Amino acid sequence: MATIQEAPPRPPPEPPTAHGGEPAHPPTSTGTTNVKLAIWLFIASDCLFFGAFISAYLLYRGRPQTGPKPQQVYSIPFTSVSSFVLLMSSLTMVLALAAIQRGDLRRLRIWLMATALLGSVFVGGQIYEFTNFAHKGLSLDTNLFGSTFFVLTGFHGAHVTVGIIWLLSLWGLATQGRLTQKDAEKVEIAGLYWHFVDVVWIVIFTLVYLIPPAK
Amino acid sequence: MTDIELRDEGRVPEPAAAAAAPALLPGELRPHPTPVQYVVIALILVVLTSAEVSLYYLEGTIPNSAIIPLLLVFGALKFGLVAAWYMHLRTDKKIFARFFVLGIVAAVVLYLIVLSSLEVFS
Repeated sequence: MATIQEAPPRPPPEPPTAHGGEPAHPPTSTGTTNVKLAIWLFIASDCLFFGAFISAYLLYRGRPQTGPKPQQVYSIPFTSVSSFVLLMSSLTMVLALAAIQRGDLRRLRIWLMATALLGSVFVGGQIYEFTNFAHKGLSLDTNLFGSTFFVLTGFHGAHVTVGIIWLLSLWGLATQGRLTQKDAEKVEIAGLYWHFVDVVWIVIFTLVYLIPPAK
Repeated sequence: MTDIELRDEGRVPEPAAAAAAPALLPGELRPHPTPVQYVVIALILVVLTSAEVSLYYLEGTIPNSAIIPLLLVFGALKFGLVAAWYMHLRTDKKIFARFFVLGIVAAVVLYLIVLSSLEVFS
């Protein structure tokens, strides 16, 4: 006697998909991916990291000391152009993200490379600035201004350099066809890091370069 | 809690966002800005930076007590624009903004206490 087997129950419907089958909102208690949460936690902790160096700079700013003073070495026109370049790199970064979300991989590669190049111009400008300061007699151990300035801006430059390596890695993956529309979050994570580096520079440019010292 | 309150908390997607779910990334409540909006924000950032640099060159013409607050306001505006539009804090879940604000507030409070203890403000 033949038995009638019941069909197995259907699995529940999948949540809406972001790109190519990945769940749009992963089943975590926060409703987002752990990697995105992690980059925001890193950014929060990096606020304290840069806060320490900015505070140290402000602490020793304007105190009597030997050696060159900020107003004797700064070139505001040069640094303004550097700041402009870094701001524009944030624009190219969001354009790269918009491109991968649309599935436009050609423009993704263009904007990723443009962002990396603009970042390289910024770091190149910083190296030129540091060399120029050294020729004017300011180095890491000249005085407290030199120590706090070089540590603060040097760590920022190191962050930008890490960002450039990250962007070039993404560009390499995109060139090999290993970065597609469903990997948009990878570009977004790199973008969050890049924009954070940009906002830190906005603070440094205002507090360190532009605000005149107390008389 | 009403749906609107839950939505503000980032616990349920907005109806429009749910309808546009295929274009959303994890943690997004609404779609990201368009490329045109990104360019407009970049133009505003350029204008604000130009205003900041112009203020620097006005030192001596107008008192520092006016220049410094204006520079701080322009810097804060630039910071806010990048965070809200380029880092997508406007359109993402509120939890990310809370992390960011937590980091900034912790840094400011901690170092204000440290600087005060070193009598920087006296």
